[in-house]
Amino acid sequence: MKLTKWLGISAAAVAAALLLVGCGNSNNSSSGSNGKSITFWYGGDADTAVKPMVDAFTKKTGIKVKIQSIPWSQYNDKLLTAAASKSGPDLVLMGTTGMANYVSSKSLMDISKEVKSDKNISPDKYFEGSVRTTEFNGKYYAVPWYVETRVLYYRKDLLKQVGYNEAPKTWDELYDAATKLSKRGKNMYGFNVDFAEPTFGFMFARQNGATLIKGKTPQFNKKPTVEALEYLAQFYKNGASPKQDLKLTIGQSFGGKAPIPMFISGPWMMASVKKDAGLKDDQWGVAVLPKGKDNNMSNTGGGNLAVFNYSKNKSSAMKLLKYLSTESSQLKYYKNSDSMPTLKSAWTDKSLSDSRIQVFRKQLNSSEPMPLIKQWDQIGQNYLKAWEPVAMQGANVQKAMDQLNSQTEQLLNK
Amino acid sequence: MINGNKSAVRNGKVAVGAILLFWGVITILPFLWMFLSSFKSNAEISQATQNFLPNHWTFDNYKRLFVDSNFGVYLKNTLIITLFSFLGMLLNAMAGYGFAKFKFKGRGPLFILVLATMMIPGQVTMIPVYLILNEMHLTNTLAGIILPGLVGAFAIFLFRQFMSNISNSIIEAARLDGASEWYIFWHIIIPISKPVLAVQGILTFIGGWNAFLWPLIIANDQKYYTLSVGLQLLQGQHTSDYGLQMAGSSFMVIPIVIIFIIFQKYILQGFNVQAEK
Amino acid sequence: MAKTLRDKLVPYTFVLPALLLLALFSLIPIFIALIISFTGLDITGLGDWSQIKFIGLQNYTQLFHDSAFLQSILNTGYYVVIGVPLVILLSLTVAILINFGQNRFFRFMRLVFYTPSITNTVAVAVVWTYMYNPSMGLLNNLFGKIGMGPFPWLSDPATAKISLIILAVWKAIGLNMLIFLAALQGIPESLYEAAELDGAGWWQQTRHITLPSLSFSIFFVTVTTLIGWFQFFDEPFVMTKGGPLNSTNSVALFVYQNGFQNSNFGYAAAGSFIMFAAIILATLVQFKLQKKQQGL
Repeated sequence: MKLTKWLGISAAAVAAALLLVGCGNSNNSSSGSNGKSITFWYGGDADTAVKPMVDAFTKKTGIKVKIQSIPWSQYNDKLLTAAASKSGPDLVLMGTTGMANYVSSKSLMDISKEVKSDKNISPDKYFEGSVRTTEFNGKYYAVPWYVETRVLYYRKDLLKQVGYNEAPKTWDELYDAATKLSKRGKNMYGFNVDFAEPTFGFMFARQNGATLIKGKTPQFNKKPTVEALEYLAQFYKNGASPKQDLKLTIGQSFGGKAPIPMFISGPWMMASVKKDAGLKDDQWGVAVLPKGKDNNMSNTGGGNLAVFNYSKNKSSAMKLLKYLSTESSQLKYYKNSDSMPTLKSAWTDKSLSDSRIQVFRKQLNSSEPMPLIKQWDQIGQNYLKAWEPVAMQGANVQKAMDQLNSQTEQLLNK
Repeated sequence: MINGNKSAVRNGKVAVGAILLFWGVITILPFLWMFLSSFKSNAEISQATQNFLPNHWTFDNYKRLFVDSNFGVYLKNTLIITLFSFLGMLLNAMAGYGFAKFKFKGRGPLFILVLATMMIPGQVTMIPVYLILNEMHLTNTLAGIILPGLVGAFAIFLFRQFMSNISNSIIEAARLDGASEWYIFWHIIIPISKPVLAVQGILTFIGGWNAFLWPLIIANDQKYYTLSVGLQLLQGQHTSDYGLQMAGSSFMVIPIVIIFIIFQKYILQGFNVQAEK
Repeated sequence: MAKTLRDKLVPYTFVLPALLLLALFSLIPIFIALIISFTGLDITGLGDWSQIKFIGLQNYTQLFHDSAFLQSILNTGYYVVIGVPLVILLSLTVAILINFGQNRFFRFMRLVFYTPSITNTVAVAVVWTYMYNPSMGLLNNLFGKIGMGPFPWLSDPATAKISLIILAVWKAIGLNMLIFLAALQGIPESLYEAAELDGAGWWQQTRHITLPSLSFSIFFVTVTTLIGWFQFFDEPFVMTKGGPLNSTNSVALFVYQNGFQNSNFGYAAAGSFIMFAAIILATLVQFKLQKKQQGL
């Protein structure tokens, strides 16, 4: 019987593999108790980005580091299981938006003492917006590592055609330029009022002078927020922004005739535009956000380094944290991965002298994170749901925000 | 069907073939697109107007797949996991046979319990399963990656359905000849069940081959990662590299297609076995 | 023949290994999830179990006042009612058509119809997003050439549901077709030969021999497809995230969003047990119908 023979072979192979598992087990337990070896969780592929730096650290200190690269799409799942089982890495890269969650689950170590005693990682050396993502109730739980802020991407050549030699500097100019650009033809727009991005409306609200949450009371239905959102809704109404996610790649939306010649995004878009949009260097640019009634504040994101609270090698983990936080490490990391340094002093280095990069530097002076509470993700999702009818069907902004506000109030006081 | 009007049969076949061909082309179109896109540069995939065939053929995506990531290690792990899942298939077959051909106390309720495990989405049980594995000290081991997915209600159900169609007289005859229950299972039931084993074999292979969530959640070391995890690692936090994704996906499909072609023979053989003498 | 104790134990040796593993990795976790559904477990409680509060049925009562959840139930019902019959009908049709011939072409077609089932989800998402793209997508381009459309594939609430069903059916046909095919080939040729002698045509043979012999497989495919569509997740997750206007959100996606994006584990678990109850009900109905059919 051919099949039974085949099954027999696979059974034997399974038995052999079982032995392998046994070996894996014993290897594992022998390295676990060694205090000179730590684990570092990293989002994305670490091989080119951080491995060389960590290797240099091992050479210097003798502390072995195991880097585990984790796909971003599953990073949160992985952290959740670690938090639940109280076992995980020693050092962990935390997205700024996840900080509130994992501080509240007590998964991150309070490092206030180190932060206050070591000048090299003192908060005043970093951008204020980044520091705010590490501080909760007066205690520090992480050190800012790389920073992201959002700026305006625009097509220089197309804006020139409608009379703008520079990027729009105010809300009025943005609206005017976008409207003119949208008159280029069918399926042509001026500016993308992003409705897949949960921070988009809130960012404009802050530019209009809004405080998003006071204590435990959301302010979404107050005048500054509603006014800002009505301004944004106007783009949909006169066809200056697409009413739906067109699901275009960057080459389709921004390259060629550019159906969407202006949009707001972070530094990660730079490489994509350069590589995939098929544009000449003088055809596009980035600029600080146009100013609203109050300011032109952008949204700070990025990544922090934190020591996992259940680590058994906290002092070694802290050493690696400090090593990775030096100016030269941050610059190396920038070189390897295009992630921008959080140390203000690093920005005078000539590797960041590119004029487009310096736009981000300028924007960082006016950039803050979204409110750092554990419910924020959910509020963001709720906002997107409330915003959708406004964008697609022209629903009343005030009513939508009244509803979001009471929904949020419930959430915060649960 | 052979005795009838031959030309009518042939005409019917041609008509059926034409329908199938048309339908098949529509079905395979997205798949072909994926394959062809894997030879396009990312810039080309991003363009507004795309041709079906690449403007410039490039193997760059495939090169990066193997150079930029540890695909060798991932491949090894994937193969091991796939191998183990075949052990799971045997357990499933045994259970299916047990439920199909034995009467024992608690059979009905137990089978309903088996089915019930199918009805809760995996996202809800993920954290409890992880905690159990953690208690058993199986996190960060191959065993921990393999065990949760080893048996499945769907497969047991499938085996039970097919095996209850097997005629009881064959089994009874063997019992009268003094064959043990295990002998019957191995030498009579398994050979008869080739068609379902073939179907299950493919499903098992695909499951093991695409294993993603558990290898990632359980492993605290990249040496246990699988191909799917490796592929996902190539995705950026905010941006995606379409060309690389297409190449990775295409690469992962090829072995499954080969396996399918091999097993296809068994399905045909199953056709012969089923005909009773 | 009197059964010895050993004979009585034999059946258990067949089912026990699988049952033990299922108990450990499915039943106990489900039970834990059930307990969680009566708590307000969130991210804080996950890290510090002393913070977990028992809140009784509050999650469940709240769910029935949550318009997003109620809509996801309606959407899921829509998916099940349209999707399940469509999958069964189409995969059965394909299987019968493929079974028509035995030559290389027909064998090749099996592979063709099976490929969607084995294609990586990420690749599927990228490719279909492009197919459904309103202005530049392949579908609207093709329809445009014959003077139809453009269709708002994923941007109109009513159309988006249909678009996702098309995608899911496309993926599901392959596997079910194989199950039907394996069963079709198990039907003894002699039955057809006898029918042929009686002068029965192809359609009559199909109706009186093929379909009745397939009743087991049809039942099987119905139950598993039903469960699959109740848990409809992948397609809305990768294609629409539940939008536009919540029109494509399914219960499974609702559970995921609440559990893993918002860390409201208790609430999510409660949602999944409501779904669990619905699936059990639907499955039991199927079993009853199957029994009735056999009785006839």
